[in-house]
Amino acid sequence: MSTFSIREAAETDLQHVMQLEQECFAKDAWSRDNMHFELLAHHTYYVVAHEGEQLVGFAGLSKVPGNDQADIQTIAVSPSMRGRGLGKELMLELLSQARKLHASEIFLEVRADNQVAQNLYHGLGFEHIDTRARYYQPDDVDAWVMRLKFATSSIGRESVVLGIETSCDETGVGIVRGNKLLANVISSSMDEQARFGGVVPEIAARAHLEAMKPTLDKALAEANMSINDIDAIAVTNGPGLGGALMVGIGAAKALSVATGKPIYAVNHLVGHVGVDILERGVLQTPTIALLVSGGHTSLLLVRDLLNDVELLGETIDDAAGEAFDKVARLLSLKYPGGPEIDKAAIGGDPKAIRFPRGLTLPKDMEKNRYNFSFSGLKTAVARWVEVADAKGENYNKADVAASFREAVVDVLVSKAIAACLDHNVPRLLLGGGVIANARLRELATERCAANGIELRIPALHLCTDNGAMIATLGAQLIMDGREPSSLNFGAESTLPVTQVQSR
Amino acid sequence: MPNHTLCIDTSAGTSVAVLRGAELLAEFNDDHNMGHTEVIGRAIATALADAGVASHQIKRVVVGRGPAPFTGLRVGIAAATMFAAGVGAKLFGVVSLDAIAFEALSASEVPLLVTADARRSEVYWALYSGRTTSGAPICIEGPGVIKPAALEEMLSERGINPMRTELPVHAAALGQLFEAQLIDGIESTDLSALYLRAPDAVPTPGKKVSG
Repeated sequence: MSTFSIREAAETDLQHVMQLEQECFAKDAWSRDNMHFELLAHHTYYVVAHEGEQLVGFAGLSKVPGNDQADIQTIAVSPSMRGRGLGKELMLELLSQARKLHASEIFLEVRADNQVAQNLYHGLGFEHIDTRARYYQPDDVDAWVMRLKFATSSIGRESVVLGIETSCDETGVGIVRGNKLLANVISSSMDEQARFGGVVPEIAARAHLEAMKPTLDKALAEANMSINDIDAIAVTNGPGLGGALMVGIGAAKALSVATGKPIYAVNHLVGHVGVDILERGVLQTPTIALLVSGGHTSLLLVRDLLNDVELLGETIDDAAGEAFDKVARLLSLKYPGGPEIDKAAIGGDPKAIRFPRGLTLPKDMEKNRYNFSFSGLKTAVARWVEVADAKGENYNKADVAASFREAVVDVLVSKAIAACLDHNVPRLLLGGGVIANARLRELATERCAANGIELRIPALHLCTDNGAMIATLGAQLIMDGREPSSLNFGAESTLPVTQVQSR
Repeated sequence: MPNHTLCIDTSAGTSVAVLRGAELLAEFNDDHNMGHTEVIGRAIATALADAGVASHQIKRVVVGRGPAPFTGLRVGIAAATMFAAGVGAKLFGVVSLDAIAFEALSASEVPLLVTADARRSEVYWALYSGRTTSGAPICIEGPGVIKPAALEEMLSERGINPMRTELPVHAAALGQLFEAQLIDGIESTDLSALYLRAPDAVPTPGKKVSG
């Protein structure tokens, strides 16, 4: 957990700032007079970071009134604090200030040999636009000039965004205006998947192609709009099933070229988090997010929706929804397994059979504290049923269903609560189709209340995969002044949560 | 004045053309049989720009329905569908092998056998006996998917020794074929993808984990 705090610098910080300046830039440190001027100047904004009493970082921005360009003047992080995200925090603080001052672009210089810093800046949206030869002396090292462009004209404006989602087996088209939901239409190929007992990627992709146009038409009708009323298009480009994602991306790109509207390629998992904005108008951060579906089981720490989403853990084998499907199948129940297991568990004793809780033993807690594993649980249930069958025992299916469900839900909620407590985050947001599971909602409600954690469960049609969450994330990017994506992005099956938008 | 038509085919590479009537204005080709998703947006934008045609001038969209390996084919059909929706154009489908035949038949005798790579050591194929007066190829068999050896065996059993072509699909040919179909009154609004293979999935009974 980050233990540092950041505030605007004051003149009294000068002495400690100079100490860190000399420690970080021994050969080309600024003079005390220069630094003094920088801290006091009206056109600059400096921030300092402290861990306890210790000054561990500072950074400065320059923005002259009347000029819409801003510069990152310097950034320094104490060697003992590196690799802990402090550099990024400082940068975010400066970027946020630059936006407040209505900068349209922001520049910085970085040593050509400092790849760690370059990666940080790239991650924040900076592009390498120029190189200054032998800029850093006496080391004789080139400087990269990097630039981040804010699309100022769109900042704060409430765009109408159409979102297209095809990452798994639901074809979703949603429309939002800013933070307001206008339409959310979902076509599912679940019935076609049912006879296979799970999602078959090729069947999902075929169904997306057939459902795309009818789903678009329904969404436009629901919003009472024509395609010409749309200001921008957002589309899921990962993570998800490759062939399925490609249908949505092909559709979205063609729509963008046809209408001349910008396109935003966005992250499916971050979309699940951002959807809360539609119900509350704002995403309260920091929050822990537990996303549970047929394809994902992820635990995220969200400090900022667009700039700072961290994957704490995920399943190392089956997704939780997949485990429900597989166990449903071996109990001769239908697909999808979640609601069927819920039904079968009615009247069952959740403590009748103690099925294993994956990755919860003390030895797992070091490496896999926030990771999940459901494959062993599924096998344990299968073995238990086979042994009972072999003995000719007449067991109670409700007990098996309830005990299995309890094992899944217990692990999900325990790890989510642990993440909240460990990171001192008093909020938990649930997302994904498995959130429909009654016992999961019940246990999460119970344990959050017991631990003083605020629980958010969006409406179910916003929890399952849907286009509205993709449109919402697109709208947030636009309101934040982000540039649209190019037409060149592809489907990224394993897109990391740290990449909110693909270029 | 003839209508502007946008033609898209992703059954092999990515090919996009803009025509005015049967006249080709611009064509974009990427021969790679991968990367359709990455290329498709730029392909359409480039073809329009090269043709000097604005998207809203497009009144008809024609798309190749394959047969083709699944993933790429869908990108083209999805794109054509949404482009048409975006500009309010009419949407038509053409069998991609027919477009190859249309192009090849201008220089070939009949019967003509068109084949295209179907991966998994198989080919897509169709057999053509000639052309209508407007130039549309007359398909007498296919399209199908088959092992090359089995195709040869079938042809020799039936005593057919056709001319052959393995030309790639050009979106321009797709558009010109469509114009011929219009004259013949046989244009089609069927956009269904010609997969010709069932998905690789079988319902599983589940397996034992103990004993």
